[in-house]
Amino acid sequence: MKRRTGARGFGVAAILIWSLVPIYWAIKTSLQTEADARAKPAHYLPTNATLDNYATLLTGDSDVPAQIRQSAVNIVVECGAATIVTVLLATLAGYAFARMRFRGRNVLFYAVLATMAFPAYTTLIPLYRIMSTFGLVNTYTGIVLVYVSGFLPLATWILHNYFASLPVGIEEAGLVDGARRLQVLWHLLLPLARPGIISTALITFLFAWGQFLFPLVLSSDLSTQPLTVVIASLQGRHVVPSTLLNAAGVLAIIVPALLALAFNRYIVNGLLAGSTK
Amino acid sequence: MTVSSSTTEPLAAEGAAPRPPAGPTSVAPVRRSRVDLLPYLLVAPVMIFIACLALVPAVFTVVQSFFKVDALDPPTRFDGFGNFTRLWHSPAVIGSIGNTALYVVIGVTLSTVIGIGAAVVLQKPFRGRSLVIAILILPWAMPGVVEGILWTGIFDPNAGLINSVLSSLHLSDGNAVLLGQNRLLTITLIELVQVWQIAPLSVLLILAVLQLIPGELYEAAQIDGCTSWSAFRRITLPLARPGIAVTMVQAVIATLNVFDQPYVLNGAANTGASVTMQTYFISFQDLDFGQGYALSLLITIVTLLISLVVVRLVYRRVEL
Repeated sequence: MKRRTGARGFGVAAILIWSLVPIYWAIKTSLQTEADARAKPAHYLPTNATLDNYATLLTGDSDVPAQIRQSAVNIVVECGAATIVTVLLATLAGYAFARMRFRGRNVLFYAVLATMAFPAYTTLIPLYRIMSTFGLVNTYTGIVLVYVSGFLPLATWILHNYFASLPVGIEEAGLVDGARRLQVLWHLLLPLARPGIISTALITFLFAWGQFLFPLVLSSDLSTQPLTVVIASLQGRHVVPSTLLNAAGVLAIIVPALLALAFNRYIVNGLLAGSTK
Repeated sequence: MTVSSSTTEPLAAEGAAPRPPAGPTSVAPVRRSRVDLLPYLLVAPVMIFIACLALVPAVFTVVQSFFKVDALDPPTRFDGFGNFTRLWHSPAVIGSIGNTALYVVIGVTLSTVIGIGAAVVLQKPFRGRSLVIAILILPWAMPGVVEGILWTGIFDPNAGLINSVLSSLHLSDGNAVLLGQNRLLTITLIELVQVWQIAPLSVLLILAVLQLIPGELYEAAQIDGCTSWSAFRRITLPLARPGIAVTMVQAVIATLNVFDQPYVLNGAANTGASVTMQTYFISFQDLDFGQGYALSLLITIVTLLISLVVVRLVYRRVEL
């Protein structure tokens, strides 16, 4: 028994080191001056730690900080809007697919599921050309539309599963009371489905936050480029100090990291509900 | 909403109504006299989105693969298998196919092994397990691009963590250029970064299946004198097969379409360019959309085929 806990301790330590070391190293670098970060042998702890890099990014008025700040606004707007629209539409459809009977339901539902089997990038080029036809390249609308279309199938599937798992008969009870069906959805089912809705919102938001190739193609300048696209372009230019780049990277992972730590139960449940087919 | 709300009618007998796919609960009463519009209104927005921005584009990809669609060489015209032939004769494309095959093999293997290993570590409850799981999913939650930046600091030839550790241990002078020279090493390290991102989902999926295995099975095995290794081989592995299959399919889809990590860590260099990167270069730098469509179509078909094969080989229905 003792031997087994020892092995588990080793396993847990390996998981923690594997998950945290790259994050630690980026935070460490972001707290150093460029000279300290390039020192050999490397400092394994942030010697002479300073918040200068963050101060530069948040308040500096040169080119790079301004780009980081604008793209941070863009990513929040795009992810927020995509999440709200996706969850709203997927809740309505998930409810209908799970708890209503109507002709053609299965065909429509399988059509939704089928799109999940395709790799997202299958539609990259046609989506770009469609958006360009309608003048939506380099607009928030274009990016949000593409995100929503990409995330809807999984969100609908998760919420369908959640609604289907709620006890039978809730609607009858409400309907007998004479409530209209949308009122039943609003007052009886939505409160019960709240954990599923929160899971779906978190997963959608995190997926949107991680997007790179779609916005790389769909946004052509700083008016819509999200943080991910700007950070990658800074990396490509090789003139931005690694300490500043790491600080920008840390800023880009603060939001997802906090969400993952604070709501991991919702995220885990949602992911499992979304992938057991 | 002015839609019919025939609330008190009993469940109407729908002769040919299809069975619900998953939910056993269906209560919406249906009037025989006219079609109930409410469910259609509820699903309409999702269906419109999917039709316009998923199905239509997918059809586009298939059809336009056989057309010359080149912004620098208009007009768009039928070209048979021309795009595919040109792809076949492009050394960059062929090279990227080889690279992607390596990404898939390395990534699927590593994420499956890590998934099984970490899931076994987390199988039994212990104090702090939920915190470990919360930390475990951190890399999954982060953008692939930023992970590329994070790991640049690990792989850096000057002050990177790997080189620093190597020189601190006096194993090398600590100036090794890790990325962009040796193809196999470059691809392995880049794929390690993608595995860092996708393995957490593998762990969760396998862990979920392991949670369903009754503890008595292990107790019985112990009484029969099974070592923990043979219990793992004879109980854990076979019963985890459905979870392992799902995990591997997810990994196949992710690795076959890898883009962010090689793009950030290695740029356009052909030591690590993936097929998806080639699709991007062909379409959005060379503006030859036709070839881009053709390559997208090929990736999609290969993804579906490999996923199907994996499910066939690995998936076994488990009754507990």
